Formats: sequence, C-alpha cells, structure tokens
Amino acid sequence: MGIVFTRLFSSLFGNKEARILVLGLDNAGKTTILYRLQMGEVVSTIPTIGFNVETVQYNNIKFQVWDLGGQTSIRPYWRCYFPNTQAIIYVVDSSDTDRLVIAKDEFHAILEEDELKGAVVLIYANKQDLPGALDDAAVTEALELHKIKNRQWAIFKTSAIKGEGLFEGLDWLSNTLKSGGV
Amino acid sequence: MSGHDSKYFSTTKKGEIPELKEELNSQYKDKRKDAVKKVIAAMTVGKDVSSLFTDVVNCMQTENLELKKLVYLYLINYAKSQPDLAILAVNTFVKDSQDPNPLIRALAVRTMGCIRVDKITEYLCDPLQRCLKDDDPYVRKTAAICVAKLYDINAELVEDRGFLEALKDLISDNNPMVVANAVAALAEIQEHSSKPVFEITSHTLSKLLTALNECTEWGQVFILDALSKYRAADAREAENIVERVTPRLQHANCAVVLSAVKMILQQMELITSTDVVRNLCKKMAPPLVTLLSAEPEIQYVALRNINLIVQKRPTILAHEIKVFFCKYNDPIYVKMEKLEIMIKLASDRNIDQVLLEFKEYATEVDVDFVRKAVRAIGRCAIKLERAAERCISVLLELIKIKVNYVVQEAIIVIKDIFRRYPNTYESIIATLCESLDTLDEPEAKASMIWIIGEYAERIDNADELLESFLESFPEEPAQVQLQLLTATVKLFLKKPTEGPQQMIQVVLNNATVETDNPDLRDRAYIYWRLLSTDPEAAKDVVLAEKPVISDDSNQLDPSLLDELLANIATLSSVYHKPPEAFVTRVKTSQRTEEDDFADGSETGNSESPAYAPDSSTSPPASSSSAQYAGRQAVAAPAASAAPALVPDLLDLGLDNSSAIVSVDQPATPAGPPLPVLLPAATGQGLQISAQLVRRDGQIFYSMLFENNSQIPLDGFMIQFNKNTFGLAAGGPLQVPQLQPGTSASTLLPMVLHQNISPGPPSTLLQVAVKNNQQPVWYFSDAVSFLVFFAEDGKMERSTFLETWKSLPDSNEVSKDFPGIVMNSVEVTLDRLAASNMFFIAKRKHANQEVLYLSTKIPRGVPFLIEITAVIGIPGLKCAIKTPSPEMAPLFFEALENLLKS
Repeated sequence: MGIVFTRLFSSLFGNKEARILVLGLDNAGKTTILYRLQMGEVVSTIPTIGFNVETVQYNNIKFQVWDLGGQTSIRPYWRCYFPNTQAIIYVVDSSDTDRLVIAKDEFHAILEEDELKGAVVLIYANKQDLPGALDDAAVTEALELHKIKNRQWAIFKTSAIKGEGLFEGLDWLSNTLKSGGV
Repeated sequence: MSGHDSKYFSTTKKGEIPELKEELNSQYKDKRKDAVKKVIAAMTVGKDVSSLFTDVVNCMQTENLELKKLVYLYLINYAKSQPDLAILAVNTFVKDSQDPNPLIRALAVRTMGCIRVDKITEYLCDPLQRCLKDDDPYVRKTAAICVAKLYDINAELVEDRGFLEALKDLISDNNPMVVANAVAALAEIQEHSSKPVFEITSHTLSKLLTALNECTEWGQVFILDALSKYRAADAREAENIVERVTPRLQHANCAVVLSAVKMILQQMELITSTDVVRNLCKKMAPPLVTLLSAEPEIQYVALRNINLIVQKRPTILAHEIKVFFCKYNDPIYVKMEKLEIMIKLASDRNIDQVLLEFKEYATEVDVDFVRKAVRAIGRCAIKLERAAERCISVLLELIKIKVNYVVQEAIIVIKDIFRRYPNTYESIIATLCESLDTLDEPEAKASMIWIIGEYAERIDNADELLESFLESFPEEPAQVQLQLLTATVKLFLKKPTEGPQQMIQVVLNNATVETDNPDLRDRAYIYWRLLSTDPEAAKDVVLAEKPVISDDSNQLDPSLLDELLANIATLSSVYHKPPEAFVTRVKTSQRTEEDDFADGSETGNSESPAYAPDSSTSPPASSSSAQYAGRQAVAAPAASAAPALVPDLLDLGLDNSSAIVSVDQPATPAGPPLPVLLPAATGQGLQISAQLVRRDGQIFYSMLFENNSQIPLDGFMIQFNKNTFGLAAGGPLQVPQLQPGTSASTLLPMVLHQNISPGPPSTLLQVAVKNNQQPVWYFSDAVSFLVFFAEDGKMERSTFLETWKSLPDSNEVSKDFPGIVMNSVEVTLDRLAASNMFFIAKRKHANQEVLYLSTKIPRGVPFLIEITAVIGIPGLKCAIKTPSPEMAPLFFEALENLLKS
C-alpha cells in the first residue's frame, strides 16, 4: 500500500517540494500566517529582519514556505529568493488602508519580475478580525488585481489570529499547482 | 581567424560558482550540506566565494547543527564583504538565540559577536541581552565575551544598552566560568575605555576569590590578572588575598603560575611583615623552578620573566642558582638568558661555583655564548668586590688558552675591571701585553690602548707599544683612533720625553689635518690647545681621577621595572618593553569608507604654524605657549617684529647693515638658482636675478646682483610699479658696493596692499633698479601666487564644510590639468603643504582620489580646494571655492607650476 501511494504521489507531483514565497509589507502578518500554517497556533512575533523558512505539509504537498521580512530596508533583497519559485502568497493588512497604495505598487513590481513569470499568486486579505478591515472585493479593487494577465490568482479573506481562510487558500494553491503542471 | 572560431569563446561548462549556487539551492538537504562544505573548503583555500552569500545564508535555518556551524563560519568570514546582505541573517540569529538547545543559543551569540558589521549590530542587542540572562551558564559565559566584542565595534551602544551593568552583575554569578569570562570581558573593555569601567570592590573581591578556585585554568588567568590590578586597602587585606591565591602556584599551567606570581608580587608591595614576605618568597621559588623543566620556548618566557622578578626580589631565587646553569643541549637563546640571571644571582657565597660554570662555558664552541660567558665573568668581578681577584685569575687562565676571541673579550672586560678597581690589579698587564699582536677587533684594541695609556708610567715600553699601533693610525676605526689619541696624550703627560713628544705630534697631525671625523678632530684640538697653553692644567684634566664604574648594564630603571612586573606573563615582560611601546591600538571611531577623513586633521593642527604671520595679531614671543615650542620658536620673534624691518630670520646675528652676505656663504639656504631677470648683456655687465619667496610668514624679494662690468657699482635702489597685490619694498635695498667680478645677494622684505593697480588680476610685477654708475634698469617678474599663502590657512573640517556651503556656486571655479600626473597622494600633499596648502580630508570616488585642502591669502581670504585625480594617470582636476574667484586663474597657474615641477 505504502509503495503504491508513493508512486502515485510522485506521479502526481514529481517528488519536488513546492517553493513558496510569502511576501507583503511589514506588519501584514506574514510570519504569523507561516507559523499558523506550520504549527496551527498563534506565536508572538517580532519584525522579521531577514527570513523564516519552514516546511508545511498539506494535501500531500510539501510546501517549502519562505517568509521574507517586509520592512523597507529588506524589500530590495526579496529578489534574491525569486528563482525557482512556484507560488507567491501576498499578504495584505486589510485594515491598513493608508498603505494599500504601497502594497499595490510593491505587488505589481513583483509581478513584473521575469523570474516569477510562472508563479501563481495567492492573495490573503488578512486581519479580517479587525474593525474597519476591507473585504476581499475592496482589496481586489485597491490592489488592481484585474490588471493581472496570463497568471492564475485568487484572493481569500483571512484572519491569521483566528485561523480563518488560510487553509481555504492553501486548498486553492495545492489544486492549482497539481493541475497547473508546474 | 575564421568565423567558426567563435565557439572557443562559449563553453558549456558553467564554472564552479554557478554549479555551487545550483547545489546550494537544491531541494535535497544532503546535497545542500555537501554544497556548503564545498563552499567552506573553497573559502579556506582562499577562493572568493562571497558571491554565494545569499545562497549560503538561505541554508542557515536548519536543524542540522553541523550545517548550521558551517554557515556561521561562512558568515563570520564574508559578512564584512557583504554588509548589506548580512541583514538577511539577522532573523535567524534572533531565532537561534531562543533555540531550546543551549549549544545553539551560545553558538548564535558567539557568531553574532564576530560579525563586525555596523548595520546589524543594533539588531543583535536584544538577543544578547536575553543571552546574558540565560538559564544556561554556557550561554551566559559566551554572551559575556560577546559584550567585549560588541564594545570594540560600538562602545556607545554597549553603554547605552546597559551591557556593562549586566556584565558587572555576572561577576556575582554562581557559575565560576561565567564569572571568569565576565572578568575577562570587563578587563578587555577597560583597556579600551578611558572611563573606569571595572573596579574591584571588597564585595566583588570575595566573589572573584571564590570563583578562582573553581573555574578553568584560563579563567583563573583572567581572574588573577584582574586581581593583580587591585590595590588592597591595607597589609592585612593583601595578606588575605595572597593567602587565597598561593595554591595557584602549584598549578600545572604555567600561565596560571606566572599570573599568580604577578599577583602575589603586586600585593607583596603592601605587606609589611618581613616574616610573611620571606615566607612568600620561599613559596614562589619552587613553581618558578618548575617552569624551567618545560620546553625550551616556555623556559625562555619563564627566564625573561624571572629576569624581572630577580631584579625586584633577588631573595626568591637566591638559593636556586644551580637551576640556571646551562645544559649542553639548551638552545642558545635559553643559554643567553640563563647567563644573564646567573650574573644577577651571583653572590660571594656561590661565586666559586658560578665561576667554574662560566669558565666551562668559555671553552664551548658557540662564539656568541663564549663571549657572553667571558663578559659575565667580568661583570661578576665588578659586582662582587671580594670575588674580583678570583674572577681575574679565571680570566687570565682563559687568556692562556690563546683562543683569539676569548682573549679579546677578556681584555675588554679587564679594562672594565681596571676602571672599577683602579690601581689594584696592574700586575697582570704584562700578561695582557703578550697578546697584543693578536688583537684585531676594534673594541679589544681600544681597550688595550686605554690600559696602556692609563698605566703608561708602569709599563716600561709603553711608548713602543703605542708606537706599534700608531703606524696604522689612519686605517683604524674611529673608536681605536680616539683611544690612541688619548693614550698618547696620557703617555706624553706622564713621560714627557722626546719619543712621546714626536708621537704626539704625529697623532695630533693625523687627528686634525688628516681626518674627516669631527669627533676625533675636536678632541685632538682640545688636547692640542690644552697642551700648548698650559701643560700643567692639561695634566690636571687628562690625568684626573676618574669615577669608579659599577655594573649597571642590563639593569632596568625602577619605574620601568615596576611597570613590567605588573605585566608579567604577557609579551611585555618578554620584550622588556612597556605595552604601549609595541601595541598600537586603533580606537574604533565612527568612520565610513566614503568619509575617510585622515587623522591628520587633528594631529596636523598642532603642527600647523600657530603664530599669525601678520604681526598685528601675533602675540608677543614672551608668551610662548606650547604651540610656540619646537621649530616655531625661532620664527615667533620674527613674526612679532614689524614687517618694515629686516627680521633676523636665519638667526645669524646679523643686523640691518650686514644683511648681505657674500656669495660664498649664501644667506639663503641652498636652493634652486634664482631666475635671471636682467641679463648681463642688457644691464651693461650688471646681472640681476630675483624671485619672491615666503619665509616664516613674511614675503621677501630674494635678489642676487652680479657685477660683470669693469667698474665698481654702488648706491643701489629699487622701486616696484603698481601691481595687483600692492607689493612694495618694506625697507631700503641693502646692497654694498660691488667690485668688478663680485656679487651680493639680499632678502628685501616686502609689504602688501601699498600701491594696488586696478584692473583684472595679473601676476606681472614691474621692477626698476638703479645705481650711481648706470642708467635705471627696468625688468619685469611674474609673481608666483604661492607666496601669498599664509601659514595659518589650515581649517578645521567643520569650518571647511561650513565655508563651502556658505559660498554661492558662482564662487566655484574649476580647471583641468591634462598634463599633470599624481603619482602618490602623500608626495603631492607634502608638496602642497610646503606651500601652505593644508590637507583637510580625502576620500576615494571609484578609482579617483579626491583631496580637500585649504589655504588663505592676505586679508584672510580663504581658498577651498578640491583636487581629483587617478593615481599614476595623467589628468588632474582642481576646483576651488573662494570669496575672490577672480584670483582663480592666478591660483591655477601657481598650482600647475608647483605640481608640474
């Protein structure tokens, strides 16, 4: 049984891990999301100066998730992580309406990158638990997601604190990666 | 080359770095680990793998301790070359410093301390703070050392974040290793800090003494070193401390032993009870002796330290002289040190034994050692009066062996013995004279000649002996010549017969007329004058009783000795030099590469002439402060003199009327000849050369008059036409009557702002010179702008920046000098400084050197100068900013002339 399963698995997905980048402005909730996905609990975090990398097993797929610091000083180094990336999880603080413009600019700058041409994009409209948080439609509008061409994308309302929406997003991601023939 | 050959330029091979890059990003852990190992291997053999920085750092978050250590190793090596990317490692450090495994926490904090990148030090403070309070002592002790490292990178940060207090708290830690490391860190910080950081109190003292017994050997060394700096309140406390420390003397590690000895010696200063001191001395002897059974290298270190200890407290090893006897297979450096200590320990009680040893050494094969042994015998003779006779008999025995260098060395030391005990052992002179012919070393010859001269009245054939040396007088080295001269004079004074009289004439002639050596000549002249004026007085002087010598060679000055004793068990006590003589410590000041202002801006300030060249603001010379000392001392009075007078610049004692010196002795120091402005052909035989010069803050017209005509010329006068700078004569022209064929030079003081000509700035200076015999001669000169640059044109860096900013851009003028090459920044700066253009700062822009300088022309008009050039490549750009931009062309012309030459 085990042998059959392994063969099936490898035929579906090679035996590659999927390399995923979690990007977004500082204080968007990237690190909290990473550890919510990995350990299923909320950890207290400090601003990430650098990166975190963890392996998350979900739906028979091994995601190698790179959570990169979102501070202005670190954003220039995101590009060091672009090669061989299958998917990007872009995290937006839906309650931080002032900085949505910056979030949008950074997002579209990423999409321009050659090395990320084939990567699918999953957007988390995070912090839905906070009052005044925009819903997914408003975030879609603010990020001008309709401008995305030749790329699969999806947006999910999430709350990392409550654990809502994260795995729905991951479901979409795993299905897309499996079918997308990455 | 055909078109198909292009294939040779493209290759399918990717090269090592891209291959490694690929492997580092592999999805397989094993492959990544192997790749990191390959990278580290490449790094250790010196290949530059810094371009893989991010890829290696990405492997940092791993459970595998081995892999983590390798990545950390890589980081320590390359963080400095990739300071921007180093920030990517911060989060991992922060995480690792909270890892459940204390080994990883300690590893993280240790590595953090080794990464000397300003940008990330701040992020490391929080983890460090946490680790200083960690539950695990291994983490705490590592963190303690990290504080010292951080202090070296950013002292302010350490003080602001309260790390010093945290370190002091660690002294009370219950783990002795933590205490030891906290002490080590505090001691290290104290060395770099001017403030008192670490002072042992009675409370910490007991903590340290407790920790001392439990921590590792190197921890003990740290604590002992710290304790040796502690000044006990009274003798009792000192005794208590020493008592607690004494067991360390038995330690197997010689560093611990030496540190304990140091500490005890320091505290012993306070102990008054002679019993206790005697007891301690007894206790210190065996451990010191034990050190001498270690390897020769350690023996050497021990011996150098013992050399100091013996000078301070000879009693400690007074009974142990036998352990310092040289073994046949000791290395030469150990033997030499042992000899030194044997001399110091030699006493009336053990001298027989010691002499026996020395005599033995004097028959060995190593020439240097043999010589030193012979000298040692001599030094013992000088040191121990009662043993002197025995020493001499040993020396005589050695002379009888007739080994050339032994004989020569023996004669040298016997000379010293004669100086120590005059008129006591002359009976042996006869034996010495037998070896006269074999002497070929200058020092031995000089010594023998001294003996002959000193005892000429008792040596029957002294004149013959000296005469034999005199034949070769001109060929002898100076040392021998001087002795021959003196000895001959002594001989003559003692036996004023015909023979010596002839000799003295030969010698004096040789030593005055024939020689080039000023020392010899001076001495000969003094004797000559003494002998020719008053032979009796000469006798009193030359044959006076001389002071008795003592053996103070290799004895250190007491204050130096104390300083060295406080540094026992360090390099300082091996070198016998205080630490500051060979340790240069660069204080870490905030300095970035772009902003590389040389330290010279501060030190240069004190060197820059402090006196104002315009006399009105110059303080009187009598109030000479420290700034006036040194080379400015002569110039200061000159500067305070009214510019209209001729200042006695060169301190030649000349008054105004004799300010002219004939050409054979030029008043001006030798320099390039002055440019000829009025050729003899135009001036009916009168030739005038002149140039403006600047001397000690004053402008002069340096002139040379040559009379090539057939008549004497006199009554010279000079006048200057209106000119841009208002230059005019500051006094009458002082030229005496010039006979045909003679010449005279003069320095005519100049004043400024007298008859300024309007119009655009020009370097033209028109001069008229007349004399009583000839018509008025007109000629013109080009003023070098350089002479106006004042000695006080040096600016502070901040003033420079402010002035630069305050001036509008329209005041900036720049010019390219395509033909000028700057081959060395230093040489260029020296040359500019010689013309009073003062260096402020420099920076590097790509491969260009950018230099900033300042200068000032009269009336306090500053010139801010920026020079840009690539070393060794023709083409130099100069930009200046000044309130008087109309002077820029003159400036550039002067600069070009200065740098071109």
